[in-house]
Amino acid sequence: MTFRTRARAAVRSWNARLDEWIDYRPLAVLRILLGPITLLHLWPFLRSATGGVSYRDGFYAPYATWYPELPEAIYFAALYAAAAAAVLVTVGLFTRPALWYLAGFVGYNLFLTLTEFHHNRAFLLVLLIGTALMPVGGALSLDSLRIPQVSTTGVRWPLTVLRYQVAAVYLASGISKLIDGDWWGGVVVRLRIERYGGEAMAAGIPEAIIDFAATAGFASALAKAAVVTELAIGAGLLWKRSRLAAIWLAVWFHVAIEVFADVQVFSLAGLAALFIWVTPQVRDRVVVLARSSRGRRGAYLVRALDWTARFRVDASSTDSRFAVYDRDGVVREGREGVVTVAGRLPATFPLAAPFAAVWAIRRLSASAFTRSDSRV
Amino acid sequence: MPGAYPAGGPTPSPVRRVLRRILVFGLIALSLATIVRGYGDPHRVFAFQPFREASTWQADIYRETPGGDLIPVGEPWPGGYSWDEMVKGRGLGVPGVEHHAVGSVDSILDLLQRALDYVATATPRDQITERLIAVVRYRRNDAEPVTVTLTSRPRVPGP
Repeated sequence: MTFRTRARAAVRSWNARLDEWIDYRPLAVLRILLGPITLLHLWPFLRSATGGVSYRDGFYAPYATWYPELPEAIYFAALYAAAAAAVLVTVGLFTRPALWYLAGFVGYNLFLTLTEFHHNRAFLLVLLIGTALMPVGGALSLDSLRIPQVSTTGVRWPLTVLRYQVAAVYLASGISKLIDGDWWGGVVVRLRIERYGGEAMAAGIPEAIIDFAATAGFASALAKAAVVTELAIGAGLLWKRSRLAAIWLAVWFHVAIEVFADVQVFSLAGLAALFIWVTPQVRDRVVVLARSSRGRRGAYLVRALDWTARFRVDASSTDSRFAVYDRDGVVREGREGVVTVAGRLPATFPLAAPFAAVWAIRRLSASAFTRSDSRV
Repeated sequence: MPGAYPAGGPTPSPVRRVLRRILVFGLIALSLATIVRGYGDPHRVFAFQPFREASTWQADIYRETPGGDLIPVGEPWPGGYSWDEMVKGRGLGVPGVEHHAVGSVDSILDLLQRALDYVATATPRDQITERLIAVVRYRRNDAEPVTVTLTSRPRVPGP
């Protein structure tokens, strides 16, 4: 197959998938997390508002001269309403209108003054708008109790757009640093380490480590590692085969950023956004456990940690072995099965995914060996 | 059967299919456009370029009187105004101290210019000052220090 034919087939498949009907159930977790994250973002504004202080009580720089401004009392009311909407989003009550209101207010507030503009807030806005486009109120929500027939299914295109935008954030950040000589060369990283070294020492990091980190060689290597990581995450998320590795990298990337930098809600929003990469199908793998107290405990644990509805759990097997029937029909038993399940549960994914990957590679190489052997 | 996407979605009409594609490509094009446009925007709005610089800045801000005298804004101000009460955020309220340039030097210079213009119009009880001047010294990453002077829009002193 030539490159042209393959490219055409890929475009045709991508085009057809825009109309595909998918299950947004895994994104209910993102919706639940967006409420507290947005409250955290709004907190400084709410704190000022309780003291009767708004952005208008001093210098402010609207994004554009024509940008509309509300009277202060209405602004405060809109702000408090946004806090209430964030709570509604999390509990999933009137989810769609609450999400749209929240996205609208966060967006409006973002452009009121450039002194408060930060990339993490723009990223949060992207997530809110993207999530508002999706039917994410149909599960783990009060709406699902209020309206029993509420659906979690919908057309794929909003997810496609949001996925593209989230990957674009990593790529845009990585590319901007790649083409900036000071960044790629490590100057920016070295100066930042020098500037914040005192704070790091106060936090208990030994001076010798700070001094070593601030050397030109180490800073240069660290800068390159950071840029390559961002690019790897951005590009890796876009391809199905590299997606799991990119998600795993992104988890630790955000954890590291949270530890070493002040990024407001970026780490939390970045981690929450990783739920958009979960395959939009539910209960497409089956976990089989023994009909025993141990099996029941295992079933309870899997159900409790299965926030994205990956597994159907069957704890009625007469066989004592733990088994997972994957969506491709492959059966994984025993320790391999446990690792596979742990690698698909959000809470255990960061630690279990590498082991699951090792097992998957082993299995692939074994099957390749069997194929080549049978050809001989 | 495990692995199947949920069925039952309505078959979209040809018009809806076309509109969907216009929307999808429009949103992706908009996103790309904001990223590219960001390279010419001091604040990089929606261009997603965090931790862009490790630059520093510091500024002395003065009121210029009709006689050409430059009076630091920290000194008593006709009308009882105070720079640090009127201007807040990103270190702009305490410009005399060296700050890390949040965002970038370009972002700080743009905000400082806007702050000067804001204060020039938000101090009606001051009937003396003709304009505000900021002498800004900045260092972009580890480059040599640079000094620039920003001036507010002219005020019209007097009752």
